[in-house]
Amino acid sequence: MVNQTVGRVLGTDDSTPLEFWVAVASGQHLQLDDIIALDRVLPTGDKVSIYGIVGQVRARHEGARFDSDVFLIADGVLPADVSEAAQIQVTRVVPETFVPPLPGAEVRKAEGSERDEALDMVEVEHRLPAGLTRDGQPVMLDLEFIDGTKGAHVNISGISGVATKTSYATFLLYSMFNSGVLGAAATNTKGLVFNVKGEDLLFLDHANTRIDEAERARYAALGLEAGPFRSMRVLAPPRKGDPNGTPATGARTTGVRPLYWTVAQFCEQGLLPFLFADAEDERQQYTIVVQSVTAQLQRCAQQSYTADGAVRIDGRTARTFTDLVRIICDKLLPEDPDEDADPQWTGRSIYTGTINAFVRRLSSSERHVAHLIRADIDDAETHAIDLDSQQVTVVDLHMLHDRAKRFVVGVVLRQAFEAKEAAGTAEPLQFVVLDELNKYAPRDSSSPIKEILLDVAERGRSLGMILIGAQQTASEVERRVVSNSAVRVVGRLDAAEAGREQYGFLPAVQRQRATILKPGSMFVSQPRLPVPVLLEFPFPAWATRVAEADLGGERTDQPADPFDGLT
Amino acid sequence: MEFSVESWAPEYGSSLNLPSVEDTDDRADATVERALEEWTPIDPVGTSRPDEIAFIDGIQRIDARIWIHENGISTPAVCVSVAAGATVCTPGTATTHGVQVARALIAPASSTAGPIGTRHATYDFVPAQDATPEATYLAIHGRRTELEVGVARSVSCGLVVFDGPLRGPTDQRGVGYIKTHHKVYLPPPVQAILGDLGDGQRTPLFFLSGGPGGGRWSWYLRLPGPRVHPMSGIVRLELPGTGTAAEAVQRAEYVSACLPRFASEPHKESRAPQNLYPISGIERELRRRLGDAHLLERSLRIAAGHGT
Repeated sequence: MVNQTVGRVLGTDDSTPLEFWVAVASGQHLQLDDIIALDRVLPTGDKVSIYGIVGQVRARHEGARFDSDVFLIADGVLPADVSEAAQIQVTRVVPETFVPPLPGAEVRKAEGSERDEALDMVEVEHRLPAGLTRDGQPVMLDLEFIDGTKGAHVNISGISGVATKTSYATFLLYSMFNSGVLGAAATNTKGLVFNVKGEDLLFLDHANTRIDEAERARYAALGLEAGPFRSMRVLAPPRKGDPNGTPATGARTTGVRPLYWTVAQFCEQGLLPFLFADAEDERQQYTIVVQSVTAQLQRCAQQSYTADGAVRIDGRTARTFTDLVRIICDKLLPEDPDEDADPQWTGRSIYTGTINAFVRRLSSSERHVAHLIRADIDDAETHAIDLDSQQVTVVDLHMLHDRAKRFVVGVVLRQAFEAKEAAGTAEPLQFVVLDELNKYAPRDSSSPIKEILLDVAERGRSLGMILIGAQQTASEVERRVVSNSAVRVVGRLDAAEAGREQYGFLPAVQRQRATILKPGSMFVSQPRLPVPVLLEFPFPAWATRVAEADLGGERTDQPADPFDGLT
Repeated sequence: MEFSVESWAPEYGSSLNLPSVEDTDDRADATVERALEEWTPIDPVGTSRPDEIAFIDGIQRIDARIWIHENGISTPAVCVSVAAGATVCTPGTATTHGVQVARALIAPASSTAGPIGTRHATYDFVPAQDATPEATYLAIHGRRTELEVGVARSVSCGLVVFDGPLRGPTDQRGVGYIKTHHKVYLPPPVQAILGDLGDGQRTPLFFLSGGPGGGRWSWYLRLPGPRVHPMSGIVRLELPGTGTAAEAVQRAEYVSACLPRFASEPHKESRAPQNLYPISGIERELRRRLGDAHLLERSLRIAAGHGT
């Protein structure tokens, strides 16, 4: 295929190996994100091919000196030419001889195989469909930079509502499972998705009724079939005050399992620190108390096995979280003021004020997490959290208070991480989709949850645990979590946020554009390319709310049993 | 041919604006349209937006002064770049048309000068009568006129405005446009009319006999613009001296109605309003097309064998 010449490198602006300007020939046009190619023959006779992406385009009147000349020109009084030029950001130089393109050199649009060459996709064996350029050409990611071979993790930034961060995260997950890029391993590859807001992710396994033929064609262009996730389970916390522990998920009623821990699990697995995950907690003295109490609870749980998940502590039985809190408080603050607290529970040389701070925090958490930690349901042990039974497990957090959210995210992540550690192999991969990273791994503090996320970010690559993280503002997230992500994605950004150093990988023009990106458009930066590529991803083929779900006759507006949960 | 490039910058030479071709011993007959006592400013009747009108201009620039060496004698000569082109205006468009650039080596006809080839351009030999500044100027001017006439031939407009007096072979479509006044052609009794002209008004026609081409019809016109002295905005126009006076008057009415909309404003044009926008535009374009003077000078030095 002979690619069309669209212009020539111009000589009135400096031409450098990384950036240069092209004067657009008359009758031709270049637009942002077009991909171009040109050649230069060196004095040695070697040919250097230079590829790039249009980063900026401009047009101006040549021959006009005053702004108001435009009226004279439009009136046919003053002669002037319109000149159009495009700024090119170089993506690749083949072979790597970094010479500037020469002014006057012919520039052509890169299409077909040359486009792959420009995007450095020629040698990529495992291509993960990541989206479409505006002209409908597929953009691929090199799987080796996601699956841990050369790099891992995806980080997505963008303001809420219009950046469609979670939609893109689920699209990547769908593409991962359904594009065939994982080969036979796709079947056993798992996705763990935290649903932090609304009911967006509770209907991933329902086809979207609003998807039309045009969108299906976009999926087809990416080599995908538009459809819902095939295998999915929802874990949701029980309704508050419901003795049966029926999961509370709003519109979704089927395929939902309750999410809670028995008191015994809570004690034995040492989950207490996950209740103290506020930003200021680490600087407080009472963390010593937290450690001592955690150790004591572990000891008690190991000594007193009960079938229903309750724990006996020095003769008293804790069947609910409220019981447990009361027992701990009694241990730390004896009723008789003359009696000293048990130093095994408090830790040594601890002031009463510190103990009080601990008790105050523990008590205040009670109302938010009491329904998550309980041994008052039959067959409690059978409700153990199972992340492996379905391909995608959605953990629904949207009804929970922030403290409870942090607790659940931390505990579930730790469980998944420890399972991967125990398995000892990276395959099959475990993907984790988590929005609002700024809450769980904030930049300026530390907490047990942040430690887990840092573990995932830094060691997950070798363990096969891949984080697809998202946040409104990358500047508020722990630097190491973001910097360990090989693939960075940016949706629409707030103008002030776009100027921060965390987005240094975006050239100036793209930062500007990031403030006006429309929903469904993303800048994707991957290690193979020095310039982020703008892409669009198709409308979700799975329902993102109940109104879109193809329920196939199933009624969701009412529970199957209207009296379910009433006593 | 052996030559050297003068090491002084080309601007250090005699001024070239010596003779004005306009200043011939023309005699004016101011009674061709009206008797002298009936001279009053006239409001031209006609369209102010002609279908198509071409403005032709040319420029010249001395790229280098050189010395031609023969038999131990050095003769001064100049290397010049000249260019001519047109702005063709229609309602809504103004386009540059038919730009021609020529490089010339102006040397006395008696010398052994030949063309000079350089890396960027070739200077063709154009003989001058002798080595005086006047002769050199006339030779440059002659070359420039040739280009202008060539450009005029290439445009198809019904109205062709030349920047400067009419010259060369008479083009019936042509109008000479003179913006500098070395001499007032009107007889003393009616000279004061110039001060009385309002914006867009013209004087009655007069006939200039003598000069090249056997006579021209001429008149004065005031362009719109600030009036700081009685001659502000006054231009003189010329038509080929053929046809009847009535035909010339009709043509003058048409031309006078067309031109005012092209008048320039002082903040955009140092010779406002007389240097019309289309002319100012083509001049700028021509200067650009002449190329970089320093680059050409350097290439001449290289060609002379004493520069890099």
